[in-house]
Amino acid sequence: MSESIPAVPLPVGGDAYAALRQAVIDWLDDHYHFGDAATLIGDDDVSFLDHAILDSLGFVNLVLHLEKVYGFRIDRKDLSRANFDSLRKIASYVARHRDFRGLP
Amino acid sequence: MTAFTRFCEEHTGERFSDYNALQRFSVAQRRRFWGLLLRWSGLIVEGTAEPVCAGDQVETAVFFPRLRLNYAENLLRAASSGDDDRPALTACSESGEDRSLSRGELRDQVERAAAGLRRLRLCPGDRVVALATNSAESVIACLAATGLGATWSSVSPDLGDEAVLNRFRPLDPVLLFAHGSHVHQGVVRALDERLETLVAGLPTLRGIVWLDAGPRGRDALASRGERLSSLIAAGEPVLRWPRLPFNHPLFILFSSGTTGAPKCIVHGAGGTLLEHVKEHRLHSDLGAADRLYFHTTCGWMMWNWQLSALASGSEIVLYDGSISYPEDDALWRLVSRRRVTVFGSSPTYLQYCRDAGIVPAERVGLGDLRLLQSTGSILFDSQYDWVRENVKPLPVQSISGGTDIIGCFVLGNPNLPVYRGESQCLSLGLDVRAQPAPGSAAAETGELVCAAPFPSRPLGLLGDAAGRRFHEAYFSQNPGVWSHGDSIRITPRGTARILGRSDGVLNVRGLRIGPAEIYHVLQTFPELVETMALEQEAPREPGGSRLVLLVVLRQAGSLDRALTLRIKRELARRASPAHVPALIAEVAALPTTFSGKRSERAARDALHGRPVPNASALKNPECLASLRAHPALRLEVEAV
Repeated sequence: MSESIPAVPLPVGGDAYAALRQAVIDWLDDHYHFGDAATLIGDDDVSFLDHAILDSLGFVNLVLHLEKVYGFRIDRKDLSRANFDSLRKIASYVARHRDFRGLP
Repeated sequence: MTAFTRFCEEHTGERFSDYNALQRFSVAQRRRFWGLLLRWSGLIVEGTAEPVCAGDQVETAVFFPRLRLNYAENLLRAASSGDDDRPALTACSESGEDRSLSRGELRDQVERAAAGLRRLRLCPGDRVVALATNSAESVIACLAATGLGATWSSVSPDLGDEAVLNRFRPLDPVLLFAHGSHVHQGVVRALDERLETLVAGLPTLRGIVWLDAGPRGRDALASRGERLSSLIAAGEPVLRWPRLPFNHPLFILFSSGTTGAPKCIVHGAGGTLLEHVKEHRLHSDLGAADRLYFHTTCGWMMWNWQLSALASGSEIVLYDGSISYPEDDALWRLVSRRRVTVFGSSPTYLQYCRDAGIVPAERVGLGDLRLLQSTGSILFDSQYDWVRENVKPLPVQSISGGTDIIGCFVLGNPNLPVYRGESQCLSLGLDVRAQPAPGSAAAETGELVCAAPFPSRPLGLLGDAAGRRFHEAYFSQNPGVWSHGDSIRITPRGTARILGRSDGVLNVRGLRIGPAEIYHVLQTFPELVETMALEQEAPREPGGSRLVLLVVLRQAGSLDRALTLRIKRELARRASPAHVPALIAEVAALPTTFSGKRSERAARDALHGRPVPNASALKNPECLASLRAHPALRLEVEAV
């Protein structure tokens, strides 16, 4: 993934954050960690790449999933550590996306 | 290809106006063809090349029964003076640290390793196994062992323990080659515990050879083995390789099917080598100026295929690690860094690149790249376009064959144009046909069969002395011809499209998955009464399909998230991540015939909304409507 300008993180707490967070954990469990994702991640700011939670291929698959579930297109230029490399960053990115219309 | 064509014309007095004429000759006069190829190849052999082929039945014919050769010797030979300084292989890793060996260095290390293996009493006919990464050490070990006449089988560390033991145990191996750890996504993963399980499960082992430092923290285990580096350091080079029969067992590869344990497919040295030389030098135009990188692991036949390219003087590039670490375009960076001329890839990887927005041409220099090959699953028309627009305009060869023949039935041709979505030609010397369904007229489309003997037909299946299972696997469906399990369309111009599997074997994300290994794991779940693994066409998924698992539960309605995750976890752990279904769906019943056999074909047809031709043969045809209407199994229709 490339680097870009750091994003403003979504504050912890709140229904949107909790739901987005859980959706990512569920997806990780469904496809990669089968119930161990939350334990492996530990902290919402842990780097997915540095802790082998997801690799670039996995991020692409996650992006495709997010596009399908939330109904918007993610610019591939946004595929960066700053936007995707932790639970908090992913939830923040989705919530901030201009085409995000709320939780399905 | 041109030079070989002229060679055939000189020695036959015939004129081949085009490739198809040469291909027809190679099939109609197979003895002349294979004899000419052997002569033209310049392989080091001894004995007599006559008879070229004893027998006319595909199932039982024997090629070059009076010829002897050594596989390793042919890969390691010095073709000319100065050859020793040319690169033989470069082993690459995620860290970007590349390690190269010249042809002279590789030969020296293999010869010394072989001397060390001889001291460990390795003899012709012994079987050895390897749990190994795609590294220089794996190549050295393989060539040293096979050079002495042992039979080699290897798997990669991503295969689960049970799956590894199911493959290795029947071989009664005498030596285990293993890495103590491997690196994936920047993380060093120790294999200690797994190696203990493996060693305990292989009671016939006489010794272990560590391909790296071995297991750490397991002193007792580590002390049972010797390091390959020590064998090399201590060994005097083997000065003369034994010349073994053309049909001496070289590799045992594994193919998982719809039922039973994986098949242990025994491949002969001469047939493998001659077939690979043909595919490399003629169809791929590989030579001494080439650097071949085929993305593979030690557990896939493309590793063996790539290895043989040493016999054509090419440098081989090895890579072990994540395709997308540390950068998402890691493989393209490697192709550029190592100035790869022929890149072997897959539709799954090309789709990943497209989905990730990777434009290789914008990121790296690919001036040396002259050919892209693809195998594993169907390469869609749009993917040819993607390569042209995002990589560079270059030939794209979609090649297809399989572990069963350690080669290809359809592949490329440097002298022919590329048509989107099509393999360029049928393989020389192989009588590939599209067999129509019984009672149907001949057509372009049908079951892929090979109707005449070919040298890379396996010697047989291990433990099948009478050949009953061998016959059942490949010759029972269409008597007298080899049935491959693929559907094919052969066009009037001689190109081909593989249309998918015609048997119950699954191909998901480019990986061949035998449902039997899935069922073997699932039988330990008391919650499950019946299960069925199917491949569902899914154009948006990598490889164009996804693995779906249908389950009938002891307690209806009890498929909850916890059970779903537990099933997936066990499949990943005991089989491999590739065996994990994308979707698990509860059904009330599975289509079953009156004889009690479940019908994957009926389930597949219902899943895809197709009419089920044999519904009257089912005792529960009403279950098909439920399958068709199952909400979890619906796919959104999206443009590819």
